[in-house]
Amino acid sequence: MNRMIFVNLPVTDLERSIAFYEAIGATADPYFKGGGAQMMRVSEEICVMLLTHERFSCFTSRRIADAHETAQVLLCLSCGGRDEVNATTQAAAAAGGQADPNPPQEHGDFMYGRSFADPDGHIWELAWMDVAAAMAAGAAQDA
Amino acid sequence: MNRMIFVNLPVADLQTSIAFYEAVGATADPHFKGDGAQMMRFSDDICVMLASHARFDGFLEGTRARIDPKQGAQAIFCLSADSREEVDAVAAAAAGTGADVDITPADDYGYMYGRNFVDPDGHVWQMSWMDVEAAMAADKESA
Repeated sequence: MNRMIFVNLPVTDLERSIAFYEAIGATADPYFKGGGAQMMRVSEEICVMLLTHERFSCFTSRRIADAHETAQVLLCLSCGGRDEVNATTQAAAAAGGQADPNPPQEHGDFMYGRSFADPDGHIWELAWMDVAAAMAAGAAQDA
Repeated sequence: MNRMIFVNLPVADLQTSIAFYEAVGATADPHFKGDGAQMMRFSDDICVMLASHARFDGFLEGTRARIDPKQGAQAIFCLSADSREEVDAVAAAAAGTGADVDITPADDYGYMYGRNFVDPDGHVWQMSWMDVEAAMAADKESA
């Protein structure tokens, strides 16, 4: 089986977050939910586990840091094209998220990125990259 | 192309973190590195981008303050393992580097087994093995 990742995020309002993540293209898993948690599938291998603060606190004794003010991590998802980057950012804004908390990134014609913040302030970057062109550009820079 | 995820983590000492993530099974990508960053691959689709504090602050562009993960938690990262033995092997490898392991008790439900470890900067990871069909059957019984 391919390796999977589960990104566990604390959220203040589980239903609001489920609706938000559905709006940006994730699917609520019908099996893995309950007890203040809902698993959202972004792909076969990538899942986001939304957890109430109470549930999240079962996994760590550290206080939950406000993601509107601070960042412990920046999460980034690849996209299939520039259009998908733009469409997902727009969907996030329409669903109560914030579009472009970080400025859009444009590197030549091989990389394009935007970002959004979810209702709790967790930032996700969306990046499209032409990997072969990016590696060629990197090789040219190294040479 | 499959969707990829890049978990961008701020680290105090890039070389220490590269060695740590190699010890727990990731591979340093020879192409995506430099400027205080190193991409570590856990699979074709799952990458951790280790970024020096200066580099990470550059990603944030002032919109969030970088937080010490030992002071506040915003996310816990969980990776799937193929077996209980792999979970134990990774936890042992993390412990071998001096990392804190099992900050909360191991999860052991027969069909699911998980242990956690803390990277050199305080980011919490969990390795979990699950027999998905048995887990779904158990879920049905409890419903």
